[in-house]
Amino acid sequence: MSDRGAAPHAHDLERAGTNADAVDGVVPARVVQGRSVDDVRAIVRRATDDGHALIASGRGRHLALGEPPGRLDLLLRLDRLDRVHEHQAADMTVNVATGCTLGEIDRVLARAGQWLPLDPPAPDETTVGGLIAANLSGPLRASQGTVRDLLLGLSWIGPGGELVSAGGRVVKNVAGYDLAKAHVGALGTLGVLVEATFKVRPRPPCERALVLGCDDPRTALDVALAARDAVDPAWLEIASAGVLAGVDAPFAVVVGWLGLAAEVTDAEQRVLDAVESSAARTLASVDGAPARALRARLGGFALEPAAAMLRAATLPGALGELLAEVARAAADAGTPLRCVAHAANGVARIAVADPAAVTTLVAALRPRLAARGGSLVVERAAPAVKHALQPVGGVFGDPGAGRALMRRLKEAFDPGASFAPGRFVAGI
Amino acid sequence: MPAGAQATSVGRSPLPASLLTRLAAVVGRDALVDSPEALLVYECDGYTLERGAPDLVVLPRSPEQVAAVVRVLAADGVAFVPRGAGTGLSGGTLPVAAPVMICTSRLQTIESIDLRNRRVVAQAGVVNLWITRQVQAAGLLYAPDPSSQGACTIGGNVAENSGGPHTLKYGVTTNHVLGVELVLPTGEVVQLGGAVEERPGYDLTGLVVGSEGTFGIVTRATLRLSRAPEAYRTLLAVFDTIDAASEAVSGIIAAGIVPAALEMMDRLILQAVEAAFHAGLPLDAGAVLLVELDGAAVGLEPLAEQVRAVCARHGAREVRVAADDAERALLWKCRKRAFGAVGRLAPNYCTQDGVVPRTRVPDIVRAITATAERHRLRIGNVFHAGDGNIHPIVLFDERDADEVQRVLAAGREILEACIALGGSVTGEHGIGVEKIAQMPLLFSPEDLLAMTRVRAVFDPEGRANPHKIFPDAKVCVETRAPRRQAAL
Repeated sequence: MSDRGAAPHAHDLERAGTNADAVDGVVPARVVQGRSVDDVRAIVRRATDDGHALIASGRGRHLALGEPPGRLDLLLRLDRLDRVHEHQAADMTVNVATGCTLGEIDRVLARAGQWLPLDPPAPDETTVGGLIAANLSGPLRASQGTVRDLLLGLSWIGPGGELVSAGGRVVKNVAGYDLAKAHVGALGTLGVLVEATFKVRPRPPCERALVLGCDDPRTALDVALAARDAVDPAWLEIASAGVLAGVDAPFAVVVGWLGLAAEVTDAEQRVLDAVESSAARTLASVDGAPARALRARLGGFALEPAAAMLRAATLPGALGELLAEVARAAADAGTPLRCVAHAANGVARIAVADPAAVTTLVAALRPRLAARGGSLVVERAAPAVKHALQPVGGVFGDPGAGRALMRRLKEAFDPGASFAPGRFVAGI
Repeated sequence: MPAGAQATSVGRSPLPASLLTRLAAVVGRDALVDSPEALLVYECDGYTLERGAPDLVVLPRSPEQVAAVVRVLAADGVAFVPRGAGTGLSGGTLPVAAPVMICTSRLQTIESIDLRNRRVVAQAGVVNLWITRQVQAAGLLYAPDPSSQGACTIGGNVAENSGGPHTLKYGVTTNHVLGVELVLPTGEVVQLGGAVEERPGYDLTGLVVGSEGTFGIVTRATLRLSRAPEAYRTLLAVFDTIDAASEAVSGIIAAGIVPAALEMMDRLILQAVEAAFHAGLPLDAGAVLLVELDGAAVGLEPLAEQVRAVCARHGAREVRVAADDAERALLWKCRKRAFGAVGRLAPNYCTQDGVVPRTRVPDIVRAITATAERHRLRIGNVFHAGDGNIHPIVLFDERDADEVQRVLAAGREILEACIALGGSVTGEHGIGVEKIAQMPLLFSPEDLLAMTRVRAVFDPEGRANPHKIFPDAKVCVETRAPRRQAAL
């Protein structure tokens, strides 16, 4: 570890922050680029010694998530920590620096016929640090799980500049607490993530998708769950009108499969049989690259331009009701709302076009979701829109009964509140 | 009392006189166990090398009673040990400086089953297998399947983050737990997570799973159900040497195949299970691999062919396919009851739970063989080869003090070999008391400090299952050393 008073700058890039570096409108005083793990340790230690607040960032593509920062002295860029350290193909694990992009990992794994089956949008602009901190996912979560299911080990830098690790590099491991879980979705509030190990999977040879059209959200959900019960699909999405070009139906149910050619053909036939007597219409069936493109299009919805992107979580079986409520709310507000849902997971994104409608919508939908054990998070919105959310629970809403434990957890990891203060739930 | 084990109550002060009365007021006198003979049942779990009965066992009948019991103990600052069915294999329920044991085994209600959303809410004392039995008619199952699934409870599974043969494809307990009700050591009850898949805030459920009862007592869990596979192909590949079988394991994984399960049994285990279950296993084989493929029927035959080819390439002399469900069930009975069958071979056995990268399975198997020879011990191997999760079963006679000493030394050497190969000391059994000494070999002081700070978030007074998982200087002096000395 570089001691204080040693070489003045172990890092090679430090400059004043500009508007382009702003996080929710807050411009950091300085932007520093970490060049190595030791470098990051020294930067963190100096920052915390000086009482500075810092936010770690990879490529900045997913920084929109979170409450506007309370303080921001330093933006710590990690995109130079971009190496795939080790891909042990025969062990089916990959160890990477957190500044590495998902696109790069995919290229390395593809050479061995493998993949990391997490498909958030913009893989070439999404680093592993962002993936973990924002708990990003895509349509594949229906069958492959999310970050928490694939992350085997994690290293981070604590407030004193110390390197801390949990988990390991083997696929099964219960030695000690699973501290890596705490960092998933924590928005960097518990430390600066520097290295991660994931389990990877064989890359399936074939992908196919079937697009079904439905007239109302409850039918769409019933059709989607019938498809799920006929044969567990690899992905299962519901999109409202206007999301998929060329789809002429109020709701599209898109069912995707991965596997051998015979498997995906068989799966598609079974779903066609299962929905034959339903009100769904078969609109398209696509194979290979077009199927992958369709999945990317549905996953990419999360990043498309909107005044606000809301993410609602509920039980899968309650999605029909949610989508109906959204349609009613849109009519009431006189603004179009578009949605895409991960139907097997009960997670829906709602794009709001009118910034003036956001608070009203959150106020209407959040309590109804909460009453069923769900939640509503404003994933992305302009700073002014976020500030206006304060009376209705802010960006995240109430994290529930674990609130006090969460505050104590933050205190245990970051007693000086140096890491992204004010960005997370409950004032953390 | 075996020579290899010693009961102890070192580090405990006598229970406050009125405690029994106050606990009886909560659970009834018949739910308290305090006679020395009855307490013997609770002196160890599946890890028998160290023993020590608690002073008092409480058997609450509901989650609410658990919370009330913990509140009574909190008022007096009394430490406690949670226990489910006592099938743990790392001494996680051994009372060390904790006089009271709270058993959740009477919390047996499956509170809700939601087939449409594939969720179950189960109390902590529900036996793992009961859940699958309740939902299998609907084509669903609860995926984690520890070998003890007919006895072990959900509470214990959550505490240990239990695995099982089919976790190779389906993941371990943490991948299937969506929420828990946790009784904190103060007696306060918190609901963490729940039926909905994601919620804002830290993943506290993910932290609680695998915390070995050191955060409090889990009384309810919300579990994810999975679709039961439509079809299975269960293959038994027979090899002349365990070395060849180990190489075939690496070959299957390297071929990009993820079987539902990929299990190894060596000659010693084969002989024990054949004697017990008469499955027609080859007694002269060096080892067999039990390979299970599952999924849609249409994809299984090509995969089975691939597995067969890899095994043949690595010298399998025979690859047998289970002809029907009955044969499949028999093969799995052999595998899952192997530990019990080993009881025929020696008065006692203990097992290790190390993990190595899957490609190092041949190396660790060779290291185990060498260790057995060096210490003049019989060690059988029955393990989750596809995960690199070894279970060497060391046979011994606890009346032979010298042999017990060699068993302990061999266990340490095997775990250290796992660490040297880039692995871990436990894949699914937990650290408990058994592997505390290896924690500093696996984790840096900073790593361990971070963990103990997290423990203090949930249990600042250290009253929930104290002196487990982490090396603790004070306990080394007071309790651990004498126990180890007695065992040596």
